[in-house]
Amino acid sequence: MSELKVAADIKVGDKLLGWAASEDVRSRGASGGLVTAVLAAALETGLVDRVLVLKKVSEFEAYPVFTSDVQEVLESAGSMHSVPVNLARYLKPETCSGKTALPAKPCDARAVVERVKRNVMSSEDTYVIGLNCGGTMHPEKVRKMLETIYRLDPEEIAGEEIVKGKLVFFTKDGKEHAVPIDDLEAEDLGRRDSCRYCQVKIPTNADLACGNWGVPGDLAEKVTFVEVMTEKGVELLRNTVSAGFAEVMQPDGKSISAREKVNKVMLGMSEKRKTEVFAPIENGKERFEYFRKELENCIHCGACKAVCPVCTCGEDSKCTAYFSLADSHKMSLFHMVRFLHLSDSCIGCGQCEDVCPAEIPLTRLYQRFAVPVQKEYRYLPGMSDRTPPFFALKLEDNEDKEGGGCTCR
Amino acid sequence: MEPEKTEISKSWEPRIVMFCCNWCSYAGADGAGIGRFQQPASMRIIRVMCSSRVDPVHVFSAFLEGADAVLITGCHLGDCHYINGNEKTLVKFNFMRSMLKELGLEEERLQLNWISASEGEKFAEVVRMVTEQVRQLGPSVLKPEGVA
Repeated sequence: MSELKVAADIKVGDKLLGWAASEDVRSRGASGGLVTAVLAAALETGLVDRVLVLKKVSEFEAYPVFTSDVQEVLESAGSMHSVPVNLARYLKPETCSGKTALPAKPCDARAVVERVKRNVMSSEDTYVIGLNCGGTMHPEKVRKMLETIYRLDPEEIAGEEIVKGKLVFFTKDGKEHAVPIDDLEAEDLGRRDSCRYCQVKIPTNADLACGNWGVPGDLAEKVTFVEVMTEKGVELLRNTVSAGFAEVMQPDGKSISAREKVNKVMLGMSEKRKTEVFAPIENGKERFEYFRKELENCIHCGACKAVCPVCTCGEDSKCTAYFSLADSHKMSLFHMVRFLHLSDSCIGCGQCEDVCPAEIPLTRLYQRFAVPVQKEYRYLPGMSDRTPPFFALKLEDNEDKEGGGCTCR
Repeated sequence: MEPEKTEISKSWEPRIVMFCCNWCSYAGADGAGIGRFQQPASMRIIRVMCSSRVDPVHVFSAFLEGADAVLITGCHLGDCHYINGNEKTLVKFNFMRSMLKELGLEEERLQLNWISASEGEKFAEVVRMVTEQVRQLGPSVLKPEGVA
């Protein structure tokens, strides 16, 4: 085993194995509790003013809190695959005073980047600790699969973890129950729809990218693989190590390639699913009929817009201001504006779908528009600081782009 | 050239909402009238100060209220009265077009053309061309029930 790395040696691009120094944190958090240690250290040393974490109510319920209390951060430790919230939505001008750190799935990190582009928050003041993510689950579906497939009482669950393609539940009596995720998904349970075709599994757009992929077998569950992505990431990790909250060391080449391999397999599966879900509907009339039918039950509550992390319009927005139910149009103006706005910015986080009371598969609908446009402009929202193509002043600014079928050239 | 008469075209004439830039195509429309260039009466012209003033909401509303097509016209690239308004129109236009295409509308239902103040003949020509294309397509799927 190689030696521990000192804080001053950490630099951008480093791939390291890390774990929390304190036994307590290690036992609370998953995979060595590094993320919890980073958050706690940042708060304790004053690097950030507060952190945004999920406050756990039960295995299926948690709510986001801004806190400056280290104890609360420690209590939030551990993975929560059944609470698919997008924390970025809570970072807004009203709440963004001082420096904030937050743990983030790739979609949270992408939302943060998009929100920075839309000037609702500042990049300098936000520390994003990315978490690898193979997918999250809707709490309602988790309950359902516990009852129908695992044959367990949802109230008896003490924890869960995704290990090697299996969803493992730990019951309060200390037993483990594992079922392969593929089997669950065959029953339309398992991960959320949007997670199954998600294109980003390692948050390379965050400041630190943490996860258990690539951790050698003998250290599994004991350490976290972390990649330092930015200068802010260096700051975070140096701060954690020098404050004595965590220890890091250099992994061997095998770990690094193992992590790449997991990522590649996951992305391959997503890509396959994506081509299945978004098989083009050739006929225009059928396409329109598809959208009309899916949106038939919409009650226009606006919840999809309220949770959308990339929508930064606020209360006064075009989609709501010029829309009236009394118009009884063939398709609501609200949806048409949303379709257009999301075509270059939809990150496919699935929040809209989760909150929809009419159970409309909104993320699928938005992605129908987003997939071809994002492909055309070779633009993946939230992955770089490139100006969104819709905001380009000139067509040429969206490089790799032909005339676009306009008749004037 | 006499267009080929189909079953639809006998009873139905397209209605097209046309956005004209105050500084070019609106004057072009005048030019077309003064020059007596023949054109179908399918256009409903809305004058805007610049083609970039046309918001996606305007275009969508036009379709939802029963327009069979929307034609946006502006100054030639480089000639914009407001330096680069038409460049921005082009960016927006491409987005609206791919969105409407994905929604199930034919590409020809949203068109963009550059017509300067002196191009009265081109104005009439574009109106004829767009009307003919839309006539072939038939009524739009977004048209509300009971609207001609």
